This record gives sequence, structure tokens and C-alpha cells, in this order.
Amino acid sequence: MDIDLSAEDLQFKQEVESFLADNAHQAGQDYNEWRLNWFKLAREKGGWDVPKWPVEFGGPGWSPTQHYIWEQATASAQTPWDLPFGLSMLAPVLMNYGNKEQQDRFLPDIRDRKVNWCQGYSEPGAGSDLANLKTKAELSEDGTYYTVNGTKIWTTLAHIADWIFCLTRTSDTGKKQEGITFLLFPMKQKGVEVKPIITLGGAHSVNMVHFTDVKVPVENRVGEQDKGWTYAKGLLQHERTGLAGISRSIVALNKLTEQANTVVRGNGTLMDDPAYKAKVAELEIDLMAAEFTELRSLAAAAGGADPGPESSILKLKGTEIQQRIQKLTVEAGGLYSSAWGSVATGPGFARGGMAGYLASRAYTIYGGASEVQKDVIAKNVLGIKKSGD
Amino acid sequence: MNFELSEEQQIIQDSVQRFVYDNYQLEARQALTATKQGFSSEHWTTMAELGWLGLTLPEQDGGFGGNQIDTMLVMEQFGKGLVVEPFFASIVLGARAVSLGGSAELKAEVLPGVIDGSRQLACAYAEEQARFDLHDVTTRAQAEDDSYVLNGVKGMVQNGATATQLVVSARTSGGQADTAGISLFLVDADTPGVTIKGFPTVDGLQAAEVSLDNVTVPASRLLGAAGEGFDLLQQVAIDGILALSAEAVGAMEVLYKDTVEYTSERIQFDHPLADFQVVQHRMVDMFMEYEQCKSLLYRATLEVVQNGVEALRTVHALKHFVGKVGIMIGENAVQLHGGMGVTEELRIGHYFKRLLVLDAQFGNSDYHLQQFAA
Repeated sequence: MDIDLSAEDLQFKQEVESFLADNAHQAGQDYNEWRLNWFKLAREKGGWDVPKWPVEFGGPGWSPTQHYIWEQATASAQTPWDLPFGLSMLAPVLMNYGNKEQQDRFLPDIRDRKVNWCQGYSEPGAGSDLANLKTKAELSEDGTYYTVNGTKIWTTLAHIADWIFCLTRTSDTGKKQEGITFLLFPMKQKGVEVKPIITLGGAHSVNMVHFTDVKVPVENRVGEQDKGWTYAKGLLQHERTGLAGISRSIVALNKLTEQANTVVRGNGTLMDDPAYKAKVAELEIDLMAAEFTELRSLAAAAGGADPGPESSILKLKGTEIQQRIQKLTVEAGGLYSSAWGSVATGPGFARGGMAGYLASRAYTIYGGASEVQKDVIAKNVLGIKKSGD
Repeated sequence: MNFELSEEQQIIQDSVQRFVYDNYQLEARQALTATKQGFSSEHWTTMAELGWLGLTLPEQDGGFGGNQIDTMLVMEQFGKGLVVEPFFASIVLGARAVSLGGSAELKAEVLPGVIDGSRQLACAYAEEQARFDLHDVTTRAQAEDDSYVLNGVKGMVQNGATATQLVVSARTSGGQADTAGISLFLVDADTPGVTIKGFPTVDGLQAAEVSLDNVTVPASRLLGAAGEGFDLLQQVAIDGILALSAEAVGAMEVLYKDTVEYTSERIQFDHPLADFQVVQHRMVDMFMEYEQCKSLLYRATLEVVQNGVEALRTVHALKHFVGKVGIMIGENAVQLHGGMGVTEELRIGHYFKRLLVLDAQFGNSDYHLQQFAA
């Protein structure tokens, strides 16, 4: 048991840090060109463009320590924007359950960041109770295509997505977890309608998506018909691990203290206020613990297995920590946090603070609400069997 | 970086676990707490024979050269059984202070007996007015020829009444709350002028009030240089906090697991209590905070092994968290056991009481939060 970095780890750390420093975006450089080139260079380093992919699909095969070093370094460095939907959510499903043709067809474009995916999971009647979904997929008589009809909601970035991975209902008999089928189809086609939903912070990132007689060839079905829930469940574990954002929170907390140190209060700053200081300290301690919980779970998953139920702890704790950072940012802005829009008044960080806080209220709702996560832990970790089960 | 135990560490853990399982079912434990001495001399001999008492002492002092990770493994298992033998007082605190600060002669005189179990040490660092500040010391030590004369009162000395020697902090110079001017002495319990009043604490352990009335102690019994005892005391306190936290984590594990088991069996309203979501979610909270606490324990312990006193801030974080979470888990365990939770019959309440005491030892949750934020 130790936390020493080996000579190889230290060398790796240095290599990562110089890679990030050497390839930071330069003023005046075309962003998109830089972005795609960054991923190309990362790929040439030996799979750094897909850190979590298994070696057989081109991943780097890092140790848990190397992943940790990468997470820490990238959290504070400037890296190009990236979306988790194809890369971290669909890709593992295709690797585990897709056939060779599907892997060859979809994975390269995901890796090259050429195709943006969105996730067709939640529905108006199926939120945390995801298995209750109703979007219908009917197989044609000749068995060559499905016809999809229904509505998805909270579909993040559906308005920029090229493709969707979508849970559909193919059978109504049996338990509601049975009869679900996992389909892939393009978004830019007749019969797919995307309507924006504006959330509390004023942002447009989620949407309502309607499907009217959308035709999907059977070769776009992942795995077997009616077995999609099994594939979807594994994906949720990946989604939840990714949502914890521990390394990003460490950076955000440092920024928060810097900001609070600039807020004048009496003869000192806000960080001299005992009540505020205690809240920041408790937050930091929770984060220090969560950081090691993540390391412990990384080490446990080192064998390459799916993240286990402990990923639920991280989602719960991680999102709660992110919310507390946002909340303390709003508190630090005081009265000025309520100024809305781009007006320049008060401390600079107060602009956008409130929008960030409001947006953060969704963190404990999406990816399975915290209450659902607790149900999952009770069942899978504490081993509580309900008498009805 | 890794969280796996070495083969030797695994053997230690297994052997302590077996000892606790064999000897520390609740009834046996309670019988020990009811004795005058408050623990079993036989168990103490067993611990010496198994090499636990010398586990963390340096090899040149006759020990096995282990570190805080080894102490963590032992104390976590002790926490699962609420072990009452004075391992913490004598080994983690007392022997550590002697080993860090004693002269070669003093170590040769004292430590072999500590390791073979024939001597027991205790650490008299606390004073009433100091609350949790180690550096607030009014007990005086006046230099006279080759000796010091000690006067003052030390409180809440764990296992003070059965110790053969006491590590005592006293002021040789400076103001009441100065870190400079504190000296540590190893005082024989039977020195004239030493009065030790033993009493039980609420968790079934033993403590004592130690009065020092013109107690003459030879200068050769100084631990560290005169007036420079604070740094040493702080090092001992850091080890103490790590050990107590490991014990707490062991106790928390028992509490949350017992609660899951009990609520899964207890039928009310035609259902096991664990069927109810409100009960489940409380237990999930207990479990999560326990895991978080374990993470911080690993973090602080590994950082101290690597960086010593530099890791103090993480130690503050740990003790804050242990105090807060320990009491939260204890209160919930009692609540979810319903009426049975407030009886002496189940072990729940005993673990809860230990966690309550543990919070206050070496500074409570609020104290360490303030230190952390300072």
C-alpha cells in the first residue's frame, strides 16, 4: 500500500504535461483545425485520444495510476471540447455487444470525432423509471427494417447530433425491462423533429425529439431484439462514472477560493468569514475523500471490468460536490450574482455564476436521479432484497 | 500507487481479525470492561507473543520496524471488536514518544518491557483549560540540579491507572499557550507526589486523572530536548489520530452492516423494515460516508507515511470527518434499530458510545475543521 509514483509514472506525468503544454491552443489559431489536430497528435502518442478504450480497440492500456495522472493533468489544462455520448457511452456498448460490421462502421468515426451522437433514453413517461419507455419500433413483415414512432425528452445536444442511439420498445409482454431494443439511426432525416427545451440557466442544451415513421434497417440494431435493456444498463454505469467529475471539481474549488479571496468583507475578504470558510473547508474535505474513493474504484476496476456499483457513490458524491461549488460561487457574488445577461457590473466571476448554479441543479437528476442511485446501492451493494422481488 | 496489502500486512490483518473474532463477542467484551483493571492481562500477553506490541517500533529498539499502515490494520480490526487492551495508550502513544525522544539508555531500559508486555505506558497530555490545544500547558517543570520538579494536573489519561510509566507534557518555559517551552518527561507512576485516580469512560474504557505534586524527575527522563517537546507531541498526536480513525472505521463498518442485517430481518407492517425506501436511503448514506471515511483514512495514512508532519492538513481533514461521520452513523444505527437500539443488549449502542468518545480524543470534529481551514 503506497501513494508513491514510480519512476515510470513520474516520466509519464512529465510526458503528459509537456504534451498538453506543447499543444495548447494558440491565439489566432483556427479552433476546429486545432481541435482535430490535437486528437490526431494524441492518437499518435499511442491511443491518448481514447484513454478509456481497451487496447484491442486502440486504447493506451494505462494503469489506474496513469488514468489518474491523465485526469488530473487534463482537468487544469486546455483541451479541446469533447462529447461523451459516442466516445464513452456508445463505444463500450458496441465493443461488448455490437457485431464486427457495426464496430468497423461506427467506431472509427467516433474516434475521429467526425460524428456526433446523442442518447435517446428518457421519455416524457420514463425518467428515472427508464424501463417504462414507450417509443415503439415495429419490425417490417419482411424483417428488414423497424419503423420507429414516439418521443424522447431531455436529449442533450440532439440539435447538433448526427446520429442517435435509441432505446425502443419492441414488445409489451413480460416485465418492462424485457422487450426493449437498442437501435442506431441518423438524426438528420425525415420524421425526426427536434424541439429545444430552455433550462433554468437560460441555456439550450436539451431537447424534445419526436419520431414519426422513422425507418431503421435491422443491421442498425445492436445485439438481439428485446434484449436492449441489458446493453443499456452497462452503459448507464459508464455514464455515471463519467459524471462524477472529481478532477474538474478540484480545479473548480481552487478557482472558487481564489475568487472568494478577492471579495472584500470588512478589513479582510470573504475567506475570513468563519461561516463561509467552514463551508469551503467541509467541501474540500469531502472532495479529498471522493478523490481517494475514485482512486480506490479505479484500482479495483484495473482488471478492465465494467465499473461496479461503487460508481454510483461517485456519481452521487461527485455531482453533489459540483453543486456545492456552484452554490458557493453564487454566495460569493452576493447581490451581484442576480444581475442577468451580459451586463458588466460587480465582480467578473459573478457573471455566469447564477446560470452555472441553476444549470447544476440538473446534475443530481440526470443520469439517474440521486434517489434512484440510492436504490441501486441498496440493492446491489448492501444486498437488500425487497420482499416483492 | 496501489491499495493492496503486502503479504506480511495481510498476515497481520488476518491474525488480528481472528483474535477479535475469537475473543471479542459482545458478552466477553462486556465482562472485561466490568473488571477493575478493565482489560485482560491474558490478551495482553497474547498480543505481546504475537509480536503486535513491537510491530511499529524501530528494529534497533527491538521492534519489527513497521509504520502507520501496520497500526492502521491492527486498529481497524480492534475497532470491529471494541478491543479494550491498552494498545493505543501504551504502544501508539507511549512507546512512540519514548522511541522518538528518549536517550539510547532510556529506550534500552523501557522499550523491551513495553514490547514483551511487562510494562505499560500512557500519555498524559491533556489539561482541562486547554480543551483540545496540545500546546496549552500549565503543568510546570522547574529545573533543579540534574532533575525537574513537576506540579500540575493532567486529565483524561487513557489507561493511566494501569500504566507503569507516564509520558507527561509540562512547561519548562514560555507562556501558557506557547508551543516553545513544552517538555516531555517519562515519569514512573510510583514516584512520590504522583496521584492517579482511575475511572471508567462511557465507552467501557479506562481513564485517569493524574496529579503531580512536587514530583522529582531526573533530567535523563526527558523525551527530546528541554523546551522542544511540542514537535514530538504533535508527531505522536498525528499517529494517535490515524490510529483512532482506523479504529473508528472498523466500528462504523460493524454499525452499518449490523443495521442492514437487522432491518432485513425485523418485520413491521408485514414487511422487513429494509423494504422501506426511507430506511434504505438512510443506510445508503451510512454506507457512503463510511466508504468516504475509509478513503480519507487511506489518504491521510499514506500521506503521513510518505511526508510525515507535512501531511498534517490531511490529518485534520480526517479527524474532522471521522468525528462527524462516526456520530452520524452511530445515531442512525440506533435510530434504525428502534427500541432495541437504545438497549445495552445489542452491540450497536456500545459501538456508538465508542465513536462518541473517539470524536473528542485529540480534538473533535469542529476543532479539526477550524485547524484545517486556518
